[in-house]
Amino acid sequence: MSIVETKELTKVYGSGDTALTALNHVSIHIQAGEFVAIMGPSGCGKSTLLHLVGGLDRATSGGVMIEGHNLSDLNDTRLAELRRRKIGFVFQFFNLIPVLNALENAALPLLLDGVPLKAAQKKAAEWLDRVGLSDRHTHRPSQLSGGQQQRVAIARALVSEPAIILADEPTGNLDTHAADEIVGLLRQVSSQWGRAVVMVTHDPRIAAYADRIIFLKDGVMVNETRLEAGALPAQ
Amino acid sequence: MNIQWILALRYLNGRKLRTFLTTLAVVFGVLVIFGMNIMLPTLLKTFQATMLAASNEVDLTVSHRAGTPFNNSVLDEVRAVEGVRVAQGLVSRPLNLPADFFDQDPTQQDRISVLTMVGLDPALASQMRAYLMDQGRFLQEGDTGVCLISVTMADTLGLQLGDTLQLPTAQGLTNLEIVGILPPRMAPGNEEVLVPVSDAQYLLEMEGKFSSVEANFNTTAEDERAAIEQAVSSRLGSEYQLGALSSASEIFGTLQIAQNAFNVIGALALFMGAFIIFNTFRTLIAERRRDIGMLRAVGASRRMITGIILTEGLIQGIVGTLTGMVLGYLLVELLMGIATPLLGNFMNVQLQKPVVTLSIVLISSALGIGVTLLAGLLPAFSAGRVTPLEALRPSTNGKLARRMFGASAITGIILIALSLAALFSGQPALATPGALIFIAGLILIAPALVRPIALGFGALFSRLLAREGTGFVAQGNLTRQPERVAVTASTSMIALAIIVVVAGMATTIEETFMRVLRESLGSDYLFIPPSVGIWANNIGADASFADELRAIDGVGAVTSMRFSSAVADVLPQFTKGQSASTDGVAVSMMGIDPHSFPEVGGLEFTQGDPEVAYAALNDERTLIGNGVFMSSTGLKVGDTVPLITPNGTVNYRVVAAAGDFLNIKLITAYISHANMEKDFGKTEDVFLQLNLAPGADQPTVETAIKQVRQNYPQFNMINGKAYYEQMSGLMRMAFSSMYFVFLFLAIPSLIAMINTLAIGVIERTREIGMIRAVGATQKQIRKIVLVEALLLAAVGVAFGLLGGLYLGYVTTNSLGTVGFPVEYYFPWSGLLAAIAVGLIFGALASIIPARQAARLDIIEALRYE
Amino acid sequence: MSVRHAILGLLAQKPRHGYELRSAFEALIGGEQNWEVKPAQIYTTLSRLEESGLVAEAAIEQDGGPEKHIFDITPAGREELGDWFEGAVEEVHQRDEFYLKLMLSINDEFADPYAVIHVQRSSLFRDLHGLTTQRQALNGMENLAQILLLDKAVMHLEADLRWLDMVEGRLDEIRSHPPPEPETRPRGRPKKS
Repeated sequence: MSIVETKELTKVYGSGDTALTALNHVSIHIQAGEFVAIMGPSGCGKSTLLHLVGGLDRATSGGVMIEGHNLSDLNDTRLAELRRRKIGFVFQFFNLIPVLNALENAALPLLLDGVPLKAAQKKAAEWLDRVGLSDRHTHRPSQLSGGQQQRVAIARALVSEPAIILADEPTGNLDTHAADEIVGLLRQVSSQWGRAVVMVTHDPRIAAYADRIIFLKDGVMVNETRLEAGALPAQ
Repeated sequence: MNIQWILALRYLNGRKLRTFLTTLAVVFGVLVIFGMNIMLPTLLKTFQATMLAASNEVDLTVSHRAGTPFNNSVLDEVRAVEGVRVAQGLVSRPLNLPADFFDQDPTQQDRISVLTMVGLDPALASQMRAYLMDQGRFLQEGDTGVCLISVTMADTLGLQLGDTLQLPTAQGLTNLEIVGILPPRMAPGNEEVLVPVSDAQYLLEMEGKFSSVEANFNTTAEDERAAIEQAVSSRLGSEYQLGALSSASEIFGTLQIAQNAFNVIGALALFMGAFIIFNTFRTLIAERRRDIGMLRAVGASRRMITGIILTEGLIQGIVGTLTGMVLGYLLVELLMGIATPLLGNFMNVQLQKPVVTLSIVLISSALGIGVTLLAGLLPAFSAGRVTPLEALRPSTNGKLARRMFGASAITGIILIALSLAALFSGQPALATPGALIFIAGLILIAPALVRPIALGFGALFSRLLAREGTGFVAQGNLTRQPERVAVTASTSMIALAIIVVVAGMATTIEETFMRVLRESLGSDYLFIPPSVGIWANNIGADASFADELRAIDGVGAVTSMRFSSAVADVLPQFTKGQSASTDGVAVSMMGIDPHSFPEVGGLEFTQGDPEVAYAALNDERTLIGNGVFMSSTGLKVGDTVPLITPNGTVNYRVVAAAGDFLNIKLITAYISHANMEKDFGKTEDVFLQLNLAPGADQPTVETAIKQVRQNYPQFNMINGKAYYEQMSGLMRMAFSSMYFVFLFLAIPSLIAMINTLAIGVIERTREIGMIRAVGATQKQIRKIVLVEALLLAAVGVAFGLLGGLYLGYVTTNSLGTVGFPVEYYFPWSGLLAAIAVGLIFGALASIIPARQAARLDIIEALRYE
Repeated sequence: MSVRHAILGLLAQKPRHGYELRSAFEALIGGEQNWEVKPAQIYTTLSRLEESGLVAEAAIEQDGGPEKHIFDITPAGREELGDWFEGAVEEVHQRDEFYLKLMLSINDEFADPYAVIHVQRSSLFRDLHGLTTQRQALNGMENLAQILLLDKAVMHLEADLRWLDMVEGRLDEIRSHPPPEPETRPRGRPKKS
């Protein structure tokens, strides 16, 4: 079953003469537990696609279905709730809250969802342990390396047990070694913990970790390559 | 503890310096609001007392219809009336002196044959009126067997401070020690001997009685005053008669203007406080945009974001408000502490303790916390409105800001146009809103003006620092982010505007008064009848007195004034209050000698050419009207006015508007001696002025003059220079309270300016790190920060001058519309002071951030987000 | 060729028989999926080396099964190995089959060069995916040698993929040029006119 589905997804920025079509009728399906990379030259619309799937932005036309919910039916508050519960985000610049420690950063989505502090921290601690930061719970972002910060971000993305993790150039700000570790961790997220991971990258080496690569060009999906022999998505 | 509190506390704790500075902004805001409000009532009281003293009036006088003393319980009755600020019971009775009492010579009439003994409450009297002391001290509580007399009386009787005055009283001959000497008596009536009320009651056998009760009100609102008067009247019954200060009187108008001015300042304080807080928060939120975006992305709803900001604002608001109130109280105490002895040097005026009422505490708290919350809320809402995506991308908000720019600039221009319209409408009621609108308009158009101003000053600075090559960096920083500059500059603007207003108002008022005073009384010697102002009661002298004076060797010029009353047959313009009548306007006519008068005394001209006017006085039936005359008759220069004289109605043409100090409050018209004789039949001099010839030996001439004056005992002789200084001291006192207010406003706003500048630098930590990374030396960094601060200050100064000039003009103008002979003086000193202060504070503001920036660890700085 | 030198290098460590040599080679290269060498190739190379006098049979071992010839390196072999270490390994970068395929597809009306690129890219990505999978299974402490080999391959693949992107981006430009043709230089003596 598709956990993420986009139908003829289109996003146009601006209007009139200055209108810019960032996405042009893109339809994709993503299965539960699948690791999908989205590739393409800069400006091809890959980040836009990710933002639309993540409910950070509204589509001009077409729709996004997340676990059967049509995002365009949700108001802002419900959309925030969906992001909190069903989607985990990993950004290029980590975007941790500088004044919170690793544990609190990881627990943030739960705390925002009203989970009691203790319970949220327990859950966050588990995930920090799983991403290999068992000894860094009380460190502030400024005290962590880039790779470690991104691990915290991944733990934060996973803490609410979402079905989908969306990663926007998660290795863009890391050295090769840390990048391999992080993308390896994302692969683990999909293969071992069964989450669908959608990752935008322009780095072929990083993309090669995925099960499937979707190629975008000028807002249009031009190709698709399956890297892992597996059941084809039920179309 | 929920996430809102955790985040709020962490943010506050995480950036301690920033939190400190932000809270400081709240502190200053509240400090200004709170401090101003607890100080204003006291200052207003002081001002009122001083002005009343200058005019020798009080709000309300109660006496028995029969003129007999009454029971002292009446005082308590009056005090019990709501709205009565202060009341004292007085005892006064004339003492008739035997013909040989002082000079021991029964054949020659004593120069003083009747005195009035006045008993007053030493503690309360100075709350009612301020007493200017010539020598010695005022009466104190617990005094007994002492008295105060005037300089004129002391001169006449040859008494000095510390001498004993012997008077016949109901208790026989009584000796009173002279502990203080008051200025020459200007008020109508007999010379007075001031003693403590308890002494007077004993000496005059009036124990438990008062002959009158005086009261001052706590309001200048007309209807309220009428209500208070009514309440006193109904409480006391019909056997007592009340004399109230007419609401049409000059003194009352002055008080009202003062209160309006103070209200404008209060509103300004409020506005400034709110603005400081708002600005700081706006910067803060703009900076945290990214974090907010992230929180939104991981699922925080708009309400949660707002909640976090609100929590943070609440904490800072509460802490800042409490601190602000405490500091405000302390600052007021301090200022009052400084002011009291200063004022005490000149006069017996007691500044009261700052008045802290529950309502002021509540209002200040509500404003402090409320504005802080609001200041956080508005940007938080705007941050919530943009999608999380926009918040994550820093580049998009530039466009948004630019869009808001155009709209705000247009709104700003409209507001300024409105405020200018308010100015030209000449309506005093529009002055306050007009001023606020003007400031708001300036703030709105500020971003659009930043670029040209920064470029202009930037060119100057970069020339100065050409060798450093850093000027352009600072200039670039400013022009690139005009919104931020505008925000910072607006804060400085208000601070500096205040300085310019102070200077503008103070210069204008003081200069006007002093010049009038100097020119009216600028002569070396004056011969004043016992009561100035109530001319009709004075017995003058014929021309021989003036001639005799002229004959003295060493006397330069002598000129005199003659008096008659007349009624101008026009419809009075002053129709408010109970003095409205349709019988024309009573005018006191002063005859002057157009030739000698300008040499010795002279009038202060507001309209018309002095030479032409003086010449015209002799040639035909013309008059010069003073300010009150012009405003009460509604006449203009060139108009002809029918005057009802003892010899019938004659037409006079108004040739100029001008006045002198002595008649400043009286509806007065000046005509020539010739016309005075022709139409009014008066040839008697009631007031003379004399100038010494150049190079004359002053002591010798003075002795000779005194000799001549012996034959004209109805005149008191006054040394003009000394008199001028005394009067100007009194006037300065009246306005010194204004200075304190402005000082109070200016200090926090200047510190706020430093604060804003410091925050501006912290904000740019990352950029500074980058500049360091590409090879700038510490010295260059310091220069960049300094230049940037100076540029910011320069922009602030430019705005401040605009705002200040407008406000100053409005304030002084509103004085003019009530008939005060006020002329707008361009406050050059204020402008220079504002420029100097602005730039100096700009440089000061850069010291700490510049050091901080220069010492920044490059790596740390680059990591700072 | 390098299998030859690999055998010399392995024998320089210790004398081995043919089967042993093959396992050692496989271990070195990180498994037969990386570089498959058939037993026959080992034995052929061994006998050639023996003919050249670079290796010599040292002993024959027999423990129940067929007899095993154990080889050792000779001094001449050592010299040859030394020369190999001192020289550089020459690689031919320009001999590229895909390049040929692509260039020919551009001017072939039945072929789609974009499809050619896509197929190649998918293949490269699959290879890369395989390599990363393989590499992830390795332990950085114990299998560093293999990891380095895999990294080399990964880097080459990355470069190939980037090159593909570049080619794809400029495909239309290449198409607009006339296809490369041999220079039509007249052969032999110029004709007399």
